[in-house]
Amino acid sequence: MDKYHVVGHSLPQIDGRERASGAAEFVSDMKLPGMLYGRILRSPHPHARIRHIDTSKARRLPGVKAVVTVQDTPQIPFGPRTDDWMIMALDKVRFVGDEVAGVAAVDEDTAEEALSLIQVEYEPLPAVFDPLEAMKPGAPLIHDKERNIVSEFKLAKGDVEKAFQESDVVHSDRYYTNQVYQAYLEPMACVVQPDLAGKLTFFISTQIPSMTRLPYAKALGLPLEKVRVVVPYYGGAFGAKMETNLHLVAAVLAQKTRKPVRMVNPREEDFMAGNPRVPMYIDLKIGAKKGGTLMGKEVRVIGAAGGRVVYSMVIVATACYRPDSLYHFQNLKTEGVTVYTNTVPTSCFRGFGNAQMTFAIESSLDMIAEAIGMDPAELRIKNGLKTGEVSIHGWKIGSSGLAECVRKAVEASGWQEKRGQKRFARGIGLACCNHVSGNRAFAREFDGGAGIVRISREGKVLVYHGESDMGQGQKTIFAQIVAEELGISLDQIEVAPVDTDISPFGMGSFATRGTVFGGNGVKAAAADAKRQILELAAEMLEANPKDLEIKEGKIFVQGSPEKSLPFQKVAELGLYKRGGAPIVGTGFWVPDTVIPDPVTKFGNISPAYPFACQICEAEVDTETGQVNLLNYVAAHDVGRAINPQTTEGQIQGGVAQGIGWALTENMVTEKGKVLNPNFRDYVIPGPLDLPPIKPILVEPGEPNGPFGAKGIGEPALNPAPAAVANAIYNAIGVRFTELPITPEKILKGLKEKK
Amino acid sequence: MKYPLTITVNEEVYELEVPANRTLLDVIREECGLTGTKQGCGNGECGACTVLLDGEPVNACLVLALQANGKRVVTVEGLSEGEKLHPIQEVFIAHGAIQCGFCTPGMVLSTKALLDKNPHPQELEIREALTGNLCRCTGYQKIVEAILSLKA
Repeated sequence: MDKYHVVGHSLPQIDGRERASGAAEFVSDMKLPGMLYGRILRSPHPHARIRHIDTSKARRLPGVKAVVTVQDTPQIPFGPRTDDWMIMALDKVRFVGDEVAGVAAVDEDTAEEALSLIQVEYEPLPAVFDPLEAMKPGAPLIHDKERNIVSEFKLAKGDVEKAFQESDVVHSDRYYTNQVYQAYLEPMACVVQPDLAGKLTFFISTQIPSMTRLPYAKALGLPLEKVRVVVPYYGGAFGAKMETNLHLVAAVLAQKTRKPVRMVNPREEDFMAGNPRVPMYIDLKIGAKKGGTLMGKEVRVIGAAGGRVVYSMVIVATACYRPDSLYHFQNLKTEGVTVYTNTVPTSCFRGFGNAQMTFAIESSLDMIAEAIGMDPAELRIKNGLKTGEVSIHGWKIGSSGLAECVRKAVEASGWQEKRGQKRFARGIGLACCNHVSGNRAFAREFDGGAGIVRISREGKVLVYHGESDMGQGQKTIFAQIVAEELGISLDQIEVAPVDTDISPFGMGSFATRGTVFGGNGVKAAAADAKRQILELAAEMLEANPKDLEIKEGKIFVQGSPEKSLPFQKVAELGLYKRGGAPIVGTGFWVPDTVIPDPVTKFGNISPAYPFACQICEAEVDTETGQVNLLNYVAAHDVGRAINPQTTEGQIQGGVAQGIGWALTENMVTEKGKVLNPNFRDYVIPGPLDLPPIKPILVEPGEPNGPFGAKGIGEPALNPAPAAVANAIYNAIGVRFTELPITPEKILKGLKEKK
Repeated sequence: MKYPLTITVNEEVYELEVPANRTLLDVIREECGLTGTKQGCGNGECGACTVLLDGEPVNACLVLALQANGKRVVTVEGLSEGEKLHPIQEVFIAHGAIQCGFCTPGMVLSTKALLDKNPHPQELEIREALTGNLCRCTGYQKIVEAILSLKA
């Protein structure tokens, strides 16, 4: 049913021309008058005391304008979730790459040379790299705490022991999801510009423009109003681009020199000091009846935080309990531990703990399906949550397209036929996932979305929002929503860059919340603007505003389209009538979600839950261990696709990342040092490495979503590693529980099987 | 110590003086002020800095500026004529082949280099031609579909 004019159509990106032509100015392209270039001196040790820093030689190098250390900061402990960060190291360094000093110079070469002139006297300390080791009593302590455990998550429901006793099949395994790097094409970057009054403008690639001001202001000892964030075009993030000391060191240099300072991570440093995925050990035990009913689940997650906490503890918590609302688990025992390690701080990467846990659960369910002789697809449908149901944790499933996703994926992939065949070293595997569209538990303050819509005399519309477009196409989605709400065409809409001096306070782009929260926020603002336009039009048409509608840019009384006024004309005349004041609509949307109970974890945390089913067909070369992916189908419940083409692109990109994680991506470390901090040795999929990926959009309509939409970003990746692992198992009968599944592991597995 | 450098970038002649170790990428982005060509890795591994040097696609981060002395460079800015985009750019937009856009200038130039030699490539030939250009957002499929849609 094509009742919408703009929403639901695959319209081209509104900023496509800027990106295609090279005209779009990314953060790392920015140049301001008087700008200096900054670099950071990073620790070569995973754990060491700092005895002395001598910056004198560096300061004397011609072209160097400032060299800073923690002494040039207020030394206030801060952090996104815990107060264990310092802008630069105070007494200790805790990972290879930890920030020790900063330099600002007239060009990048001079800044780099200055780094080599800074002399630091370190006293190396014993270090610990694996969270299992770091948890043990007697392990070297990384922060001033009694132990390296950052936080623990505990949850129990029903009686798992009884559930396992009543099960016909119990499957137990340990999974390891390795540390992978988001590998966005534009490294982390910033330009920080000071003004005479001490206000700092951060031009940064950030997913959280409003939220990031709080820890930044705290760290710099500034009142919040002195911290302004502007978000230019930036080249991808996938979760990584939240708080980072890169921005703060640049800020300190900007304060010292009173000049703008640009700092861009060289790629090698971005690997070393970015925010890679939280690696996890997952011990998972699931019991099921032979009819396919899942009886109970016991899980223990141990995740590495790295040298300081970014969001790892929230990610471990998410891993612990998100799939409890994918399937009907009635008996649960869950434990999660987040542990400091002397490695690069870990953080958000598409999936946020649910990706790691989905790999484990979907692999285990594959084994259970085999043990009870049930089709893995049927097992998912049997246990999956349906529209209108409430999960064990009180999550209200307003819409669930899970069963339809499974059926459509099964149909499109030739699942039945291929499962039935015995083909040498060729297999087909299936995996599902759930996710959220926004997470009330993420920040205490609120979860909601807001917008401002400004209509000019020419009838052009400028939309302000507070979220962040990292390339996922958010701007166009917001523009489509506003155009649809106002009854005008997409080409009349422009979306302003986020500037925290002007834009609404947005929580930001994470937890797959952009479309639902930001979308509903700008929709509400557009509705407010529409109300004002219709009041003005009503006077001009001598009608009741309630009787008016706007369609394709024309305003008329319902039923009498021949007597219409152009939208632009009403905007123009309205402006003259109001002394030049433009029509400005503001609006907001706050769902009735809750922060879960701290003990029971009960509470509906999201207004909408996306679901998905992906099916992968693989062929294994039993001589070389290489895996060749033949076909891939990804069916996603997105509520309604605001822009089907953009949604498909997100699915294909997420699947590609999941495939890379499953087969080739691994941050190889030795004594805390990343040995492969480059694209030659850290292998992300290239154009020859991917199968055709067929996206299928399932649109049951989501009551809480703007025009029925839910999110897509993270669910696009979640099922992929298990779909690949399950395909490999189907092909060669070897189960891999550790990522990535490399040729070496495959050959070893085949050998052991013999 | 600086050396004289004469290069033509997008039909415009630049006469510069640069140190021996300055890369073509630095010259394009700084001296010429053309920031459409991106730096993604500095090591010739990602292709975000792809430009055409006398018609051949190269990673500008691996070319010393002085190696390009007397040569002609085409960057992404040189493909469009004022408001009018190149057909490759148009199909990229139409097919949803652009997400964050950081890889796009390099992708577009590698595509041009391919089509200049092979106006009707098959899918495999397209994927092979683009192996030097990494994209993390799209999974490449819509890029390939966009290029296939060109009837050259």
